[in-house]
Amino acid sequence: MLSILSGSDSSRSYCDARSRRSFLKLGGLTFGTTSLGLADLYRAEAAQGKGSSHKAVIQIFLGGGPPHQDMWEIKTEAPSEIRGEFHPIPTNVPGIQICEVFPKLAGMMDKSVVIRSIIGCKDRHDSFQCMSGWLQEDLRSIGGRPSIGASVTKLRGQVDPSVPAFVGLAEKSSHVQWSDCGGPGFLGASYSAFRPDGPGLDNMKLNGLTLERLQDRKQLLISLDRLRRDIDTSGIMAGMDSFNARAIDVLTSSKLVDALDLSKEDPSIVARYGDGKPYQYQYDGVATRNDHLLVARRLIEAGVRVVSLSFGRWDSHGKNFDLVRDHGGKLDQSLSALIEDLSQRGMLDDVSIVVWGEFGRTPKINANAGRDHWSQVSCAYMAGGGIRAGQAIGATNRLGEHAVERPVHVQEVLATLYHNLGINVSNTTLVDPTGRPQYLVDREPLRELM
Amino acid sequence: MPTVMRDCNFFSSEPMANATRRRASPRLAESGRNVVSVPERRTYVVTANAIGLAPCRFRKACFSAIVLFFVMSTVVSAANNRPNPLTPAENTLRFESFDSQPVVLLGSDARRQCLVSETSSDGLMLDRTRSVTYRCKEPDIVECDATGYIKPLRDGQVTLIAKDASGLEVTLQIEVRQWANDPAVSFSNQVVPIFTKLGCNSGGCHGKAAGQNGFKLSLLGFEPREDFIHLVKESRGRRISPAVPDQSLLLAKTINAIPHGGGQRLEKDSHEYRLIRRWISQGMIYGDENAATVASLQIVPDQRRMRPMTSQQISVFATYSNGIVEDVTRTVQFESNDLDMAEVTNSGLVSIKDLAGQVAVMARYQGQVATFRAAVPLVGEMHDWPEATNAVDVAVIEQLRRLNIPMSELCDDPTFLRRATLDLAGRLPTLDEVRSFLADTTNDKRDAVIDRLLASEDYADNFANKWMLILRNRRDKPTQQSGTFAFYRWIRQSLADNRPYNQFVRGIVTASGAIDMHPPVAWYRNVSDTNSRVEDSAQLFLGQRIQCARCHHHPFEKWSQVDHARLSAFFSLVRSKPGLTPDEPTIYSEVGKPTTPHPKNGQPLEPAGLDGPVIAMANEQDPRHALVDWMVEPSNPYFARSLANRYWKHFFGRGLVEPEDDLRVTNPASNPELLDALANHFVASQFDLKELIRFICRSKVYQLSSQANASNIRDRKCHSRFYPKRMSAEVLLDAIDHATLSTTTFDEMPDQTRAVCLPDTAFNSYFLTLFGRPQASTACECERTTESTLAQSLQLANSKELQAKLAADQARPAQLANDLQRSDNEKIDELYLVIFARLALDEEKRISIDYLNDKTDKKSAFEDLVWALMNSKEFVFNH
Repeated sequence: MLSILSGSDSSRSYCDARSRRSFLKLGGLTFGTTSLGLADLYRAEAAQGKGSSHKAVIQIFLGGGPPHQDMWEIKTEAPSEIRGEFHPIPTNVPGIQICEVFPKLAGMMDKSVVIRSIIGCKDRHDSFQCMSGWLQEDLRSIGGRPSIGASVTKLRGQVDPSVPAFVGLAEKSSHVQWSDCGGPGFLGASYSAFRPDGPGLDNMKLNGLTLERLQDRKQLLISLDRLRRDIDTSGIMAGMDSFNARAIDVLTSSKLVDALDLSKEDPSIVARYGDGKPYQYQYDGVATRNDHLLVARRLIEAGVRVVSLSFGRWDSHGKNFDLVRDHGGKLDQSLSALIEDLSQRGMLDDVSIVVWGEFGRTPKINANAGRDHWSQVSCAYMAGGGIRAGQAIGATNRLGEHAVERPVHVQEVLATLYHNLGINVSNTTLVDPTGRPQYLVDREPLRELM
Repeated sequence: MPTVMRDCNFFSSEPMANATRRRASPRLAESGRNVVSVPERRTYVVTANAIGLAPCRFRKACFSAIVLFFVMSTVVSAANNRPNPLTPAENTLRFESFDSQPVVLLGSDARRQCLVSETSSDGLMLDRTRSVTYRCKEPDIVECDATGYIKPLRDGQVTLIAKDASGLEVTLQIEVRQWANDPAVSFSNQVVPIFTKLGCNSGGCHGKAAGQNGFKLSLLGFEPREDFIHLVKESRGRRISPAVPDQSLLLAKTINAIPHGGGQRLEKDSHEYRLIRRWISQGMIYGDENAATVASLQIVPDQRRMRPMTSQQISVFATYSNGIVEDVTRTVQFESNDLDMAEVTNSGLVSIKDLAGQVAVMARYQGQVATFRAAVPLVGEMHDWPEATNAVDVAVIEQLRRLNIPMSELCDDPTFLRRATLDLAGRLPTLDEVRSFLADTTNDKRDAVIDRLLASEDYADNFANKWMLILRNRRDKPTQQSGTFAFYRWIRQSLADNRPYNQFVRGIVTASGAIDMHPPVAWYRNVSDTNSRVEDSAQLFLGQRIQCARCHHHPFEKWSQVDHARLSAFFSLVRSKPGLTPDEPTIYSEVGKPTTPHPKNGQPLEPAGLDGPVIAMANEQDPRHALVDWMVEPSNPYFARSLANRYWKHFFGRGLVEPEDDLRVTNPASNPELLDALANHFVASQFDLKELIRFICRSKVYQLSSQANASNIRDRKCHSRFYPKRMSAEVLLDAIDHATLSTTTFDEMPDQTRAVCLPDTAFNSYFLTLFGRPQASTACECERTTESTLAQSLQLANSKELQAKLAADQARPAQLANDLQRSDNEKIDELYLVIFARLALDEEKRISIDYLNDKTDKKSAFEDLVWALMNSKEFVFNH
């Protein structure tokens, strides 16, 4: 495949190092920085197969609580000890201005929505509320509320039998709640996320076995495994049999392991996302893993429905502005790469992205040039999933203390995600262990985004 | 001796005299014999057999008199075309009526669901309600539709005639009175049930806490006073138009004349619509405060033997506190407890599908519940039944006999040894145990195995694991370790000493003091607020899930908020103060009066057990002792039953009541007689847990094979065979270690600690979490998941952990490979004895030896063999 940018055909090149013939041959399908030729496009489409048509969600959790007044709504009319160091920059949607640390995202405001008035947050450092919409106390006695990933796994099942429906990417942090990708709640451990670390991932690669030996073992098992299946009244035997078969599939051709392997991705795309290094301000939180956003896209192509990851440690009790410059710049790079990537692959309408944290931060800057916890209002950034993009919803008061315009509850955001997945929250229930049907969330999706 | 048979009066429980029962015809015996103390309908049936068996002179005199009466009544009935109560057995089509004729309908709202049935030649009562045609002899007094539902049209007396396809007719006398007398519609008794029936006040719509679109009703109609205020007074009374009732929002929205989010719930001019309209036009009266409330509910018929793919119409009667009885068939809510077996429509037609077994249909109305039980026997020839060993066998065999489901054979010795060792001791039997058991020729060797296992330390380990998880022995911080370990040791020691269960529960519920001296205080540390303590105790020790009743009347049970409050009063004085360390508080019960505020009006409520008397306590008494006293009384219906059910589930994989801690009227046991037998035995033995286990394990039912025959393959609840169950996570890990001769190490525990012996939940084992070991966050055994997942299969098939166990130099495959003394034959036998507790079949030996001979690397060949055996279902399942 000939890349316009490769300039290899120099013998017949004109001054701009391209020949007309090569341009025509290609069909001109190489835009921007991704070298996607027609053949590749067809191949990619075929490879996606079912995957490209399934709806998915990427939850990007900004652990620690990002400062809402330094992200998507600079409080220009507030005094300097509240406004801080940042200036707003215009975006490609007239009338919406976001923080100057997000120049690339400003260029794609027309594909996204910023919500500046998230309410209902609990002043607690964990991802539970962002992942499920509820607090941990809710239904604790029967196991707690399931996160969106677990609910979707239960309601929709897997797209591909050898690919789990719910994957949590964040590596375990010291403060474990920041790397919590969302638990199964009362649905039980079988609906936990697949976490590609430790034993879960190890088991998907052959451990000290050759494929041939595995096949031998499988044959031996089939000939010796004689217990009648129909005597089982619980259905577990049938389940084990079917998963045993799939396990062999996974070991012989692992779509999932490939999706997690970035060496299989085009290096220029990997470079576009960046790697988020050097990791700064990490302490007991999660690093700024730009590459995880790329892995998320690959996982969705492989058939995962909900990918949940954590990005950075935004708990800026000190050095707030340096932290936001660092984390914000990296988020800008990787998130804009993700949105652009999805958009070019035609996946943006199927994949909903939400970027938010557990609460906002204090308007008044403290003595360490930082901001403290502020759960009265928070913010969120959404893209994809077929929402009506190019909007800024809600507003806080002059000093950024509370929401004055269109307060949006945390559960409304989750309801919107469910809606984008094709799940109607007003009539979908999950049966809990006591036999009682439970609704997913208690609120309706945001009308402005429909 | 009367030869005219009269069954029990519907409302009384007089059993028939034994003598008359023996003389009953086969038809009647069927409905009478196996039913103990169930009220039956009154019917008049002549038994030709009874007459024929009359030997003595006195009876012969009666016989002649009867014959004379018989002849005369036949003549009379032929003239009047009435059902002759003395006709011979052939004419068995009849109206089932629980009260005497004429049936009285009072007022224009009264209704009656008729039941017409016929007795088949094999003794089953078949429902003919919808297969007969109805007509009235006198016109315009009642209207009877094709389903036998009668509605009065005006005062008068009428004869309803039902005619079946063959032309046979039966009649029913009906009288309508006070039709024109428009009684005041009672809001709570007539209007609110409509909302419940239509689902308006369900948790999905207006019944939820926030209401729906600004209109809130109390959940399932438990607070009619509040509903009245919401409907009539709220929002300046805009929901009702007294002047033009049809234009009321209440009615217009219900029929969707005005857009209604819930859609159309009623047809215009339906009975419910007209009732609500009448209520409005009468001035929206609430009704008498002391108006009659529903005291009880009965279903007629309340049980039946039925064939598969047939249906039965049931009718429901409500008895009010003022004695009035009303047919409420179309206003109650019906629910089947097993949709695979039976479905029920809104009008009470129960349709049985094609599975054999027992199924219950519940009717719920105004907080009362009644149950209809259908037994669907297997069609086919009658089977033989083995002799019962003990009361467990008696109850199970009785049910199987009634349902005509054959029992499987007893299991063979290897299966029994493996099953008992897994269930009692939580491990696989050792090679020596297997060899000596198989060689043993004594008659009672199985009983000896049970006794040996019960006396072993492994029994205490296994059951301590079970109990400590539901007693929430969680370690969240390292500093809690001494407490959790102490609690575990206390539990284990109680089981090893066979402490009576009532003392065990008392030790936990009344725990006070510091954790080092009184380890059960750890339960109070983990279950840290009063509501959780109440709900956990109720769930664990009484099998009642009363969580719902905290906020509103329990939707499926009869527990109200007051019941929940009274139960929590026992715990209302429990306090904690800092103990030796900040993480181990000292628990005590304060001196004072234990009360809980009434959830609605704040009045102090004194403690009372569920359905128990209010207990007045002196200030210095620990009210928790009173709670335990109430629990352990032999007459307490929940304590022994819930433990018996829990232990039944441990051995059989399925409780008699499922879920095992949810015993309620609307969730009947699959075999109530068996549950009673277990509970009674348990109480009689002074709550001896080992004795209960012995009672269960010595029965034939426990020792049945899991192999099914064609007839009982579909039985899932009647225990005609053993249902295989997957080994729990801990037992599976230990079994793998046993099979491969390896060990798993756990943090901070001595080497050789088995997974089943782990004292709390803080051990990070991917394997254990993967296979469902609970985190002890709840009191429910359902927290342990047994579902299969892809990750489990990958773990068993391919994990590093398993590979290491297989490939270790000291592991069994290596040992077998390096053993040059013995033949492959002997080695295979040993492998099968270790893993399956049996010898290999010839076929299996052939396959294994072929495989071994095929490979040059003997060690890896044995690894493959052991791998294959461990991945087979026979290993992973306790069958």
